[in-house]
Amino acid sequence: MKIKFLPSILLFGALAVAVPLTGGEGTGNPFAQAKFVPDISLILDSSFVIRDLEDPWFSDLFLPGFSHAGPGVRALELDEANVGKGFNLNYAELSLASVVDPYFDLFAVFHLSPEGFEIEEAYFSTRRLPAGLQIKGGKFLSQFGRINGQHSHYWDFGSPPLVQSAFFGGGGLAELGLRLSWVAPLNIFLQFAVEILQGHNEMSFGHQGFDAGGISIATVDGPGLVVATVKSSFDLGNLTVLAGISSASGKSRWPADLENDNGASAFAGTAAVFGADITFKYLFDSIRYLSLQTEVMGRTSRGDRYGLEVVNGWSVCEQRSRQEGFYSQAVARLNKRLRFGARLDLIWKNDLSFAGMTQALPKNLMRYTAMGEWNPTEFSRLRLQYTYDRSRYEESGGIWRQRPVHELTLQVNITIGAHGAHAF
Amino acid sequence: MNMKKLILILAAFALAFPLIGAKLQVVTTYPYIAGLTEQVGGDRVDVRALAGGQWDPHTIMAKPSFIAKLRRADLLIINGAQLEIGWLPPLLNQASNPKVNVGARGLLDLSRSVKMLDVPDNVSRAHGDIHPDGNPHYYLDPHNMLPLAEAIAAKLSELDGTGVQAYRKNLADFRVQWNAKLEEWDRRLADLKGAMVIEYHQNYDYLLRRYGIELLGTIELLPGIPPTSRHIQELEAKIDNASVRFILQDVYNPDEASRHIATKHHIRLIKLPHDIGAVREADGLFSLFEEIIRRLTHD
Repeated sequence: MKIKFLPSILLFGALAVAVPLTGGEGTGNPFAQAKFVPDISLILDSSFVIRDLEDPWFSDLFLPGFSHAGPGVRALELDEANVGKGFNLNYAELSLASVVDPYFDLFAVFHLSPEGFEIEEAYFSTRRLPAGLQIKGGKFLSQFGRINGQHSHYWDFGSPPLVQSAFFGGGGLAELGLRLSWVAPLNIFLQFAVEILQGHNEMSFGHQGFDAGGISIATVDGPGLVVATVKSSFDLGNLTVLAGISSASGKSRWPADLENDNGASAFAGTAAVFGADITFKYLFDSIRYLSLQTEVMGRTSRGDRYGLEVVNGWSVCEQRSRQEGFYSQAVARLNKRLRFGARLDLIWKNDLSFAGMTQALPKNLMRYTAMGEWNPTEFSRLRLQYTYDRSRYEESGGIWRQRPVHELTLQVNITIGAHGAHAF
Repeated sequence: MNMKKLILILAAFALAFPLIGAKLQVVTTYPYIAGLTEQVGGDRVDVRALAGGQWDPHTIMAKPSFIAKLRRADLLIINGAQLEIGWLPPLLNQASNPKVNVGARGLLDLSRSVKMLDVPDNVSRAHGDIHPDGNPHYYLDPHNMLPLAEAIAAKLSELDGTGVQAYRKNLADFRVQWNAKLEEWDRRLADLKGAMVIEYHQNYDYLLRRYGIELLGTIELLPGIPPTSRHIQELEAKIDNASVRFILQDVYNPDEASRHIATKHHIRLIKLPHDIGAVREADGLFSLFEEIIRRLTHD
């Protein structure tokens, strides 16, 4: 949902007008509304990247098996941040939040970046439903798994886990829809939730129809994706355990410009992503902690593959896929300012078949990440991250070859204004 | 599903489900509020504190288990003055309990019942992690406990009308006991009037001002920001020109800098509890203040 400049200009214009208007209290303006200004915050995320591969080559690398438009997912779709070598302005994130009335809260997050203006989230949530029920509606990050519901500035690393970006893309599963959640009246935390979503996520679901040689595949209208989650948490002394299972299943459309994109294929069918996550966080004292977090994710898809080949012309066949992977990370906070962490990413299963014929795809796609952080205060952060990525491949003359990438990123994350506290 | 399995599952649920009786379910953010609520509420209320007394009250980890507690609360009592701002709001949102949400009758903000000190004229984070409503550690002045107890009694009476008599009696009993203690504590701390101290964080300002104890400076650079070596040097220069009696250190911040200054300048370093459970001796509301005064007067 990227729209160029006009909305950004309107938004900043509105803020510029709003700010002087709010100063009217002291002047005795009987209609002053200063106290009703919502919580406003701005987060700057900027980085400097050193990589052993030039940008055009890097953006041509792909993750084998996660293919629809071409040989694989291009690096640029996997990464939203720290894309180019040298300086990057990843985003300036503007967030607004306030109580609406006794019945609703409203929350909105806008990403302003050189690519344009993006509504990352804009949703209401209820505050008066009985019996532990809550409804959320609008565009929001799905609570699938552990990391998907978190904004990127709250992540422990500068990049999302490999399984997360492979299945949901660099921006995660952020969808239009409704969420109903229920917290059970127990002594331990147990929450059930269902999300009915539009299903626009291009990496696993997608809704856009396409044409394939006289066959017209219809666009999916209306909600095409259902997410269900169960989460539970309990404490054992200073140890907090949070575990969850999630599923996302829906209709899939992976369109491609078959006539012009040589070798591309399109897909129409269904896809389902399953996830299981567990987090252990042990507090040594008010400042130091050690946290271990793992998420396992798997995706199955099933449907029809459409292709246009030079020799045989248009083709349609059954396509099935089954892909599984996980990440595991450890993060330690040593004092108020220092945090260190390491993460292992692995996609171990990468099965794809066309008309029952198994395709030979690379398995065991791996990535290693290590980071160190210096946080002058809770409002500013400097993070140095090293990544050794063995998951990406390059193509030359029809042959796929692994292309390991070494990357060093220095990332700055700065927050001003009234920014809400984060959930666990 | 066979019968045995079914019984096991039902038994598990029965254990996990709390026994909700007629008692008012009260959740408090900090242990001292729970201690005070038990004094006033007696056996008509079930009280649970979210945060542990040994933790830094500003940066409590927002555990999901807190959501489960908030979900079932009839009344939530908070310290207020933004002490909970870093951890409570997302929990309240997730618990989505209409009884205790912001604006509901079942949310009591105790900071409204006492006079706040050090309310800043202008607010900037260049001054560290300051609180726009003033220093939130007002509860460490024992004289503030009585207005807080009255506020709690009024709220309990509002929510549980049949208990009005009981709450009134409990409050009266508490007032008698606490006043007797206050008399004793005031007497014991009278000698400290005019003494000069250093604090790590401005945790004990209300206590210091109540008893005319003067503050030379803080070990931390600014509220919430750890000390730098230059700041320590400046503080040491001030120490040279003053006669500092104590360094007051809380239990949750690192104490290296305090120990360094204490040894170098021969100043007594006192570790003071800031809440019930911060040290072993402070296991209740009375013993919390008893222990603070004992450590200050080193009897």
